[in-house]
Amino acid sequence: MVEGKLRSRTKRRVYVKTPGGKTKIHYRDRKPSKAKCGKCGAVLKGVARAKASVMKNLSKCKKRPSRPYGGVLCTKCLRKKVIEKWLK
Amino acid sequence: MVEVGSVCVKIAGRDAGKVCVVMGKVDDTFVLIDGCTRKRKCNVRHLHLLDKKVKVTKSTSTSDVKKLLKKEGFSVVETKKKAKKEKSTKPVKKRKDKPKKPKKKKEAPKKETKKKAVKKKSVKKKGAKK
Repeated sequence: MVEGKLRSRTKRRVYVKTPGGKTKIHYRDRKPSKAKCGKCGAVLKGVARAKASVMKNLSKCKKRPSRPYGGVLCTKCLRKKVIEKWLK
Repeated sequence: MVEVGSVCVKIAGRDAGKVCVVMGKVDDTFVLIDGCTRKRKCNVRHLHLLDKKVKVTKSTSTSDVKKLLKKEGFSVVETKKKAKKEKSTKPVKKRKDKPKKPKKKKEAPKKETKKKAVKKKSVKKKGAKK
């Protein structure tokens, strides 16, 4: 029996094969949810998805696309937003 | 249609939201742009055409294009060039060069002391026996 805290599903389960041929369960932290567009809710591409402890060691350009509203809006919504501004 | 001299806004990439002018055509899909954006090749689908037009040729420089855009009433943000750092006029302390002392020969005196000690010990032992 594993520890009580590992018996819940808060941790991710990874099946690992040991050198002896047995399969063992490793318990790892779950990843945070995928980043989503603030306007339409579509899943954003190019946004890093990792624990905060990993994210803090990533460089800025690895965390989000280097465009205005990168990591906040999807490209479609960005285009709409820019065009709306110039139509006014 | 995109023509040479037409003013556009970039809607994709790092320069999205910035105003540019079409400087020339590469083929049906690609054009050369310049202005508030970087000077580069660009897909037509990444541009949003504005109604205005500017007289340019291929050889007009970016600074001239920016001036033309300013005349048309677009806000042009000019990038500041980094000023060169002036060398500090503060007096810098320098280490005084001490004259190097000649190294003493350590081996010679050590041997003497050892010999003396041995001699003393031997003397003591002799005395104890007596």
